[in-house]
Amino acid sequence: MAVEGASPSTPARPGDVATHRRSQSRARPRLDLMSAFAVPGILLALFIAVPLAALVYRAASSGDLLDALSKPIVRDALRLSATTSLITLVIAVGVGTPLAYVLARSSFPGKRLLDTLIDLPIVLPPVVAGVALLMAFGRRGVFGDELRATGIELAFTTKAVILAQVFVSAPFYIRAAKAGFQSIDQTLEQMAYTLGASRWRTFVQVTLPLAFPAVLGGIVLCWARALSEFGATMMFAGNFRGRTQTMPLAIMTAMESDLFAALSISVILLAVTFLILLLLRAYTGDGVRA
Amino acid sequence: MDAAPPEPAAPPPQTPSLRVEITKRLGSFTLRPSFSVGRGELTVLFGHSGSGKSLTLRAIAGLLRPDAGTIQIANACVYDGAARIDVPPQQRGIGMVVQSYALFPHMSVRENIAFGIQEMPRAARGARVQELIALLDIAALAERRPSAISGGQAQRVALARALARRPKLLLLDEPFSALDSAIRVTLRRELSRLKRELDLTIVFVTHDLREAYNLADRIAVFDDGQVLQDGTRDEVFDRPASARVAALTEVRNILRGRVTRSGAASVSVETGRFDVAAPPGVWQAGDVVDLCIRPERLVLVRPDRRRATEDRDALIAGEIVDEVAHGESYTLFFRAAGAGDSAAHDLEIDIAAHPYAVLGVRGQRAWNVALPRDAVHLMPAT
Repeated sequence: MAVEGASPSTPARPGDVATHRRSQSRARPRLDLMSAFAVPGILLALFIAVPLAALVYRAASSGDLLDALSKPIVRDALRLSATTSLITLVIAVGVGTPLAYVLARSSFPGKRLLDTLIDLPIVLPPVVAGVALLMAFGRRGVFGDELRATGIELAFTTKAVILAQVFVSAPFYIRAAKAGFQSIDQTLEQMAYTLGASRWRTFVQVTLPLAFPAVLGGIVLCWARALSEFGATMMFAGNFRGRTQTMPLAIMTAMESDLFAALSISVILLAVTFLILLLLRAYTGDGVRA
Repeated sequence: MDAAPPEPAAPPPQTPSLRVEITKRLGSFTLRPSFSVGRGELTVLFGHSGSGKSLTLRAIAGLLRPDAGTIQIANACVYDGAARIDVPPQQRGIGMVVQSYALFPHMSVRENIAFGIQEMPRAARGARVQELIALLDIAALAERRPSAISGGQAQRVALARALARRPKLLLLDEPFSALDSAIRVTLRRELSRLKRELDLTIVFVTHDLREAYNLADRIAVFDDGQVLQDGTRDEVFDRPASARVAALTEVRNILRGRVTRSGAASVSVETGRFDVAAPPGVWQAGDVVDLCIRPERLVLVRPDRRRATEDRDALIAGEIVDEVAHGESYTLFFRAAGAGDSAAHDLEIDIAAHPYAVLGVRGQRAWNVALPRDAVHLMPAT
């Protein structure tokens, strides 16, 4: 509808023109906030980079990495670490994914307690975890007699290595996966329900694909933690070459007798973890969230 | 074989396609809506945010379990607290669209639309998706991800996705609220077209009064978890059940008064500021009533001119004390002459820009205002 005479044109008011105020700041060099804050950051970055560089430098100057791979202590440790950490990962993902979803999506009495319990191994000293495992499943542990009666021996076997790794590293996966599930808008799942999709189908086709970057981050964190597991393994599984001597334990053993072997294993661990981190960053476009 | 009686030409009695009567406690808030929706109708659940209309929609969808009551969709009971019936959302035969669109971000537009009909044979599914893409005019977007389309387009896709399963009931939760007004107008017309073409029964949640008026066949007015009035659009707008409904539907002129005379032809009411004539009703002299009249129904009359017709209407002398321009219309604040200065203004008058200009309202402040008797609505005082 036409608005007749509704808006009498307002004449332009020249007095309103903003007057420019010229800032009279002298060109005095000033330390801005970002530059000031960068100094401690650079120091810390150097503190991390220098030892790693030193490690690589010493390893490279003491021999050929391929020679190290022929040493039994290195080969056995590599094989054991690879198999145990992957089995650990399968267990953590298999058990942890449903648990993470339950923690993210439902509420039940004791949920907070369960949540805290699962986070506990993250802050617990691994040696304590090892002692605890020993006290539960060791020969003289609380369930020692029962285990012996059924013919199962855990302590100081490869199984103990895996149990120690699961104990220590699964919480990293569960935390990351839970955060991933929580970050997904529940409306999406509810829309899937109204579209006839069962809860299972919704989980597989909507929730899991959307949470996948977070789940992958959790997998990487969990695997890296399992690979580097030392204290709990030492306590609960011991240090037997080929059976329980994983790479970190082999490094400690070799430091006393064969520095080159120790350096080689260290460099391999460094390279593997670094590579995984780079791949993850390339995939998610961001760092690991936990 | 036999001569069947001819079908009556009049519209069939409306068969309720949805009946809701539930209660649900959520902290200190109690949701207890009660209303029904006719087949092929669009019912607007209207109310302020927090009045419980979206929660009610979620309960209909099966996404929120009531504490007690019943919900019926197309003659099938989907919830009955006493009989412990609670049909899951997957089997309620509904389609739903929400304000945030909630398209699956990891699927293309085509995959989103096909999500609800995965059990169909591949060829039939493809044909159905194609049909919906044509229906909603989104062919150009079919292979895109939701992140690569606009809000208005996303809402079309969400509608197509919800319609794919041919739902008995379409639930729309503020579907257009996040969109620009121009797109909103287009989509409202689109929705009206879809409703006609597909004979859809729709429940539409909105807090936008204009949208409610544009779309609704029926309106259920929500306030504090309850349905205050459930009726046809014109019933709710012209004959609100209470002063609260009148206020929620922006009647703006709501006055407390007392009936002085109740006759066969009209009812007289005194408000203390002026007297008003209302259509005849169940009132008796002495009744205290709330009286309302929509601001666009008031008529400005020049003080030097008697209003030729409609002598039965109340005519009040006074002046315009303030006004607000909206572009296409004006709101005038009118104060009755005489007695006291209690009120800054007595009545709000909405007048379109053209009559405003023609009447010369800008230069003239003293006016008489006619309250057309049939536009005056009386309600029991609350």
